[in-house]
Amino acid sequence: MTQVSMENVSKYFDDGETVANYRLNLEVEEGEFLVFLGPSGCGKTTALRLIAGLEEPSEGAIYFDGQRVDRWSPSDRNVAMVFQNYALYPHMSVAENVAYPLKIQGVPPDDRDQRIEEVLRFLHIEAQASKSPAELSGGQRQRVALARAIVREPSVFLLDEPLSNLDAKLRQEMRSELKRLQDELEITTIYVTHNQEEAMSMADRVVVMNRGTIRQIAPPEELYSRPRTEWVARFIGSPPMNLLRGTRQNGSIAFGEAGSVDIGETTVGGLETVPRGDVSLGVRPEDISIATERPASTTAIAGTVDTVEPLGEYTVVNVAVGDQIVNAKVPTTSVERDDPVYLTFDDADAYLYDENGELLT
Amino acid sequence: MTNDEPHTSREPTAKSDGGATEQYIPLDAVPESAPRPDLDWGTRIAAAVPSMPRLLKYAIAIAVAVLWIVPFLGLFMASFRPLGEILAGWWHVEGMTITFENYRRAWSYQTAPMGRALFNTLVVTVPAVLVVMLLGAMAAYPFARFEFPLKTMLFFFILLVMAAPPELVAMGNYNTLREIGLFDSYMGLILVHIGWGLGWVVLFLRNYLLGIPEELEEAARIDGASRYQIFRTIILPLSTPALVSVAVIQFTWVWNAFFFPLVFMRSPELYLAPQVLPLMTGRIQVEWGLVAAGSVMTMAVPVFLFLMLERYYKQGMVAAVTD
Repeated sequence: MTQVSMENVSKYFDDGETVANYRLNLEVEEGEFLVFLGPSGCGKTTALRLIAGLEEPSEGAIYFDGQRVDRWSPSDRNVAMVFQNYALYPHMSVAENVAYPLKIQGVPPDDRDQRIEEVLRFLHIEAQASKSPAELSGGQRQRVALARAIVREPSVFLLDEPLSNLDAKLRQEMRSELKRLQDELEITTIYVTHNQEEAMSMADRVVVMNRGTIRQIAPPEELYSRPRTEWVARFIGSPPMNLLRGTRQNGSIAFGEAGSVDIGETTVGGLETVPRGDVSLGVRPEDISIATERPASTTAIAGTVDTVEPLGEYTVVNVAVGDQIVNAKVPTTSVERDDPVYLTFDDADAYLYDENGELLT
Repeated sequence: MTNDEPHTSREPTAKSDGGATEQYIPLDAVPESAPRPDLDWGTRIAAAVPSMPRLLKYAIAIAVAVLWIVPFLGLFMASFRPLGEILAGWWHVEGMTITFENYRRAWSYQTAPMGRALFNTLVVTVPAVLVVMLLGAMAAYPFARFEFPLKTMLFFFILLVMAAPPELVAMGNYNTLREIGLFDSYMGLILVHIGWGLGWVVLFLRNYLLGIPEELEEAARIDGASRYQIFRTIILPLSTPALVSVAVIQFTWVWNAFFFPLVFMRSPELYLAPQVLPLMTGRIQVEWGLVAAGSVMTMAVPVFLFLMLERYYKQGMVAAVTD
């Protein structure tokens, strides 16, 4: 159980030509499951490697339980890591792979064998012990990589997109298994992924990253219900949140030809606190209903149906509002292309973002 | 769609067995291997007979192959036949006498016995190969992985030395060996072979090491291994196929080397096999049978080594690493 913190950590590559991470500030609680989430190239893997000790920060400091570790080697930090392609040693059997960190540590053979057996049984791969990694399926390789990581009883457990090489069904299985594993072992875990479903389903808290910086740190529910910026709002949710550009006028927001919306109470409070000027109105697709006739309520936006995507579980209707497309997620629908429709939503489901993309509170 | 198209596309096509094609096939009806089309013999023969241009290509390829193998075949035949038959032309096969006399005589030829020469060659070749493998791997690893000053420059130097012909370094090495008292000794010859072989071995191994995923080393670092432990327990075992290639090629070169022993070895009792071969020509007439038998014996050792180590080439270790 280790508490990890980063203070103003920056990492530059190529003599400062590339900024991989810029001023990361982060506290990871003991036994927490933290997920770095972001698009490819956002610096989440570099952040993980900085914590692992595979990279040294260009600026800033990293602490494990209050001790500064950023010049320490990975083994001195006692971190374990699972790599995206597992990085199993191809010339060793499964048991030898798992034994490797213990051998290096100088654990006596009897103790070693017992621990290997335990961990292989724990991950249900005892039958594969003498096989070589090349003979294993993707899911089994994944388990061996996990076994090699946990056999050392590390203080921090790091995972770099561990599920991205598995097929969808296996990914689902391993997701719940990883969660179970972490619950049972209670090891501080940092997990990197670009898959928001993985992040939301496993994390105690999610760190959303973009362009080398942290955009928001929040538990999954809060990330969904209160995205701090427009960018986060667009990144979380599938399909992502609709953001309509409009101008705030007395007590309402105007969207040009599509009409205007009166907003009494948004999730962020009364409209009177909102400054005048350009704003974005955010509504999640699942909070929008579609009506074919103008409803009595005033919060309705007029548009025409662009495309309808029936996905079985629900249907996504893409509606053209002015020159923007709004997604609505509805159970079923009878509308077709070019139908005029009205979009309605609860005031409480709407978010307002200012010109800088910050959530207005 | 036109009117007559649905007629052809929607009608279920009747098969030879009379059954109609079904939309859903039961899973156990899927065959293990592709069904063989029932063709009559005429069609099969017509398909098997190559076309004229293809026939021509075959003819050229076979001609080149024969051209390649004929000298070796002649040498092999000559080594097993008495001198009289060789002089009449080794290609006359009628009334052929097969004898091991040439081998027996060559093995213990009085001025330069092949048996001793082969042993001498082995004494020089084995250390020259093993040391080059170890030093080469140790030098190639930093070039593949570390960052250090003058790295590119040093690597360029290695390539530059490789471009030089052996004759160029012979004079310098000759003087050096005389100076330090290693002239006409196996130690001196071995050192020259090591130095000469190191260049290509470093280049070859470096390129191979670059193909080993860095993540494996990072995983080992996380597991607590030191640089040396990573080299010994991860890099060296994974380099086995490349090291085997180096061993076979370097062995063949050192074994067959003629120029270096010629320059650096003077005492006849220390002569190596390639040096001994020209001495077997005799005084009055050329003993072709002895030369042929000696050549076959000299050649056999690298060939045997290659056959022994061949399976290591085929090991799919690289594939296992990269997938």
